[in-house]
Amino acid sequence: MELLEYQAKELFRIVGIPILPSLTIEDSRKIKQLQIPYPVVLKSQVRSGGRGKAGGVRFAANTIDAIAAARSIFNLSILGEYPEVILAEAHYNTERELFLGIVLDYDLQRPVLLGSPWGGMNIDSLLANLQQVVVEDDFSLFYARRLAAKMGLAGKLICSISDLIAKMYRLFEERDLDLIEINPLGVNARGELMALDGRIMVNDCALARQPIIETLNFSAQQKASTHQSAWKTNQNFSQVRWRWLDWHHQTGKIAIICSSFDAALLTWDLLEQDEVVPACSVLIENSLAIEADNLLYREQLWSILQELESFVGIEAIIINVWDTEAISREIVRTVIDYCATKTTQEPITPSPTEAILVNSNVGSERQELALAPSLDSALIATHPSFVLRLPQQSNLDEINSAHIYLSSSLEESIDTAVAIIRSS
Amino acid sequence: MFTTVKKGRLLQTIAELMFFDLSTFVSSPVNKSLSQSVLSMKWFRPQKVIVQGITDYQATFYALQMKAYGTNIIAGISPGGGGTTIEQIPVFNLIEEVQTHIGSVDLSLIFVHPYEVLDAAKEAIAAGIRQIIIFTPRVPPQDTIELIKHAKSTNTLILGPGSHGIVVPQKVWLGNLQPQFYQPGNIGLISSSRHLCYEVAAELNAAQMGQSIVISLGSDRIIGSDLAHWLGVLNEDSNTKAIVAIGQSINRVESIIAYSKNHGYNKPILFYLAGLKAPEAKMYCDALTIISNHLSASIPVVNRDRQTTDELREIGIKIAKKPSEIPTILQQELAAMDK
Repeated sequence: MELLEYQAKELFRIVGIPILPSLTIEDSRKIKQLQIPYPVVLKSQVRSGGRGKAGGVRFAANTIDAIAAARSIFNLSILGEYPEVILAEAHYNTERELFLGIVLDYDLQRPVLLGSPWGGMNIDSLLANLQQVVVEDDFSLFYARRLAAKMGLAGKLICSISDLIAKMYRLFEERDLDLIEINPLGVNARGELMALDGRIMVNDCALARQPIIETLNFSAQQKASTHQSAWKTNQNFSQVRWRWLDWHHQTGKIAIICSSFDAALLTWDLLEQDEVVPACSVLIENSLAIEADNLLYREQLWSILQELESFVGIEAIIINVWDTEAISREIVRTVIDYCATKTTQEPITPSPTEAILVNSNVGSERQELALAPSLDSALIATHPSFVLRLPQQSNLDEINSAHIYLSSSLEESIDTAVAIIRSS
Repeated sequence: MFTTVKKGRLLQTIAELMFFDLSTFVSSPVNKSLSQSVLSMKWFRPQKVIVQGITDYQATFYALQMKAYGTNIIAGISPGGGGTTIEQIPVFNLIEEVQTHIGSVDLSLIFVHPYEVLDAAKEAIAAGIRQIIIFTPRVPPQDTIELIKHAKSTNTLILGPGSHGIVVPQKVWLGNLQPQFYQPGNIGLISSSRHLCYEVAAELNAAQMGQSIVISLGSDRIIGSDLAHWLGVLNEDSNTKAIVAIGQSINRVESIIAYSKNHGYNKPILFYLAGLKAPEAKMYCDALTIISNHLSASIPVVNRDRQTTDELREIGIKIAKKPSEIPTILQQELAAMDK
């Protein structure tokens, strides 16, 4: 979960990191109530970086200016995101701007302190001068002093900066952060520090144990991008859930339905190795413990198939589900019934041709397979073929449709699907 | 770490208890990772197991399945649930109560809530348990980091978080990998993905190549014992003739390459990296890449997959592109070894 600037600054305030007087604005008319002396800075509260360059930060000398600026910021989308809130902040005269950050390094399995003597919007010089110090054991102030020295700071700044890093570290540790960053950190003529902008990323796995984070009024976009802890408790153990994977390709002709993320990854990978880019991928996750509940599975699968109808140009649906025999049976039944409803809706209904079972032992059937879909291509255009990859093959309902292929081998299923779309 | 004398004694005890011969250990030069490897070998023998968090639905479900398979589950732990039983498995509030009333414990399987994992593991370590499998996924990383530090200082082996456990086909079942998908044999399988294990095992089984052991590392971004560790363990294991490692991406190959340079892998190793072509966003792991990417999405991130596979090939590791290639490559490699 990435916090917006004003949310991050709320946490800064709690640990004593200096921030400017400010007001959050949900409506441009509210600016009239602004208690901060002009000139003020108005900042769009979106997650994406580079909002300054995109026009999301504006100065205003008086109320009339400010209302106009606020209106234009509310109407400005930055990388597809409109702000729900604007932060109005006092202006600050800086002499120099620094960058400070703490990041959890997953390779080293340690927090790393980061600092650059060149903070602000010029990312190239910031990164070119970026220094780092790995916190090997429990945090102590000397790690921060080491960073300050590496950044080339001198005099009183060494102590004031390291004190500030200690406060950042406190937040980092107590709030389970993945990242905390102050950029720029303003230093004025008297050597005083001010966090002018800040970013915080809270680790998603730890969100539920950080009640303070919950009080921060998340925007719709923030909520949408967060994967809430998927820990299954006793209450929701027995259920079937499905979701889209964030993989889409407009010209794709194959949809993938898989029982796990890894299965989807593998299926997609194998198709791409055959130079076929799939259209989309769906995960259907099953934690049913009682067989009597298998009707739930059918309902979920059915709703996936209905949603897939909105995709234009899908010619084959691969269902790769590694589950119990009962679930395999349920899938076959659902697909047969689904095809039956689709076929009866069609005015031209060719007599169902014999089902072709893909079988690794019978090589000759493969040729037949490649030819089969073209026999009644009129129907192909109206509803896609199904390639079912199910590990258990016993006790399945008899498949009596030319559009359903069954195999226990994944790579054979991939070949089948590729043959279907290539022959159309 | 153990002194030399203790090491000798430990080897002897374990050799008596295990059905694995230790000749490879005795003849290999004494090194830092030896005692660690020996500890790891204890996974192979039947031992006294407890389940922490046994009253959780999943834990109960798998505990009963494991017990039916022959795993020696002597007790379950559930704070507040002490004094009850679950299908003849006695439940205790504390691990020390198990030790008082039943006896010593070799291994703990942890199924508690993610936020209770650190505490549960610390309780196990404090009770003297030196092998822990954490099944719970999505443990907050700072907890895992603390746990790993604690485990290192006590010489405790951690598998997980987010592991699916270990299977020695038809002998040992610890966890929730379904043992019916595996056949006994001499191929060692290491992965963090349950599904990919099934896929690869299916190909191996079809080629009459059974598995000596199947190890699930864990799905979290920070895990206890890693791929490099287990490659070292299986490299020394006389029941394993070849090793297959399955992963989605391999970020940390340095330790694998270092082991190869210091000890040398003496059996065929094959990597299958699934999903290199899938549009999955790359996970950024190191601080510099994370911060650069965060500061500006326009900074191109170098895809190191190719370089990584090249580095692995250089030390003699084979790379498979799809599951069906795995048995073929292994057979070629094993045939080449016999010559």
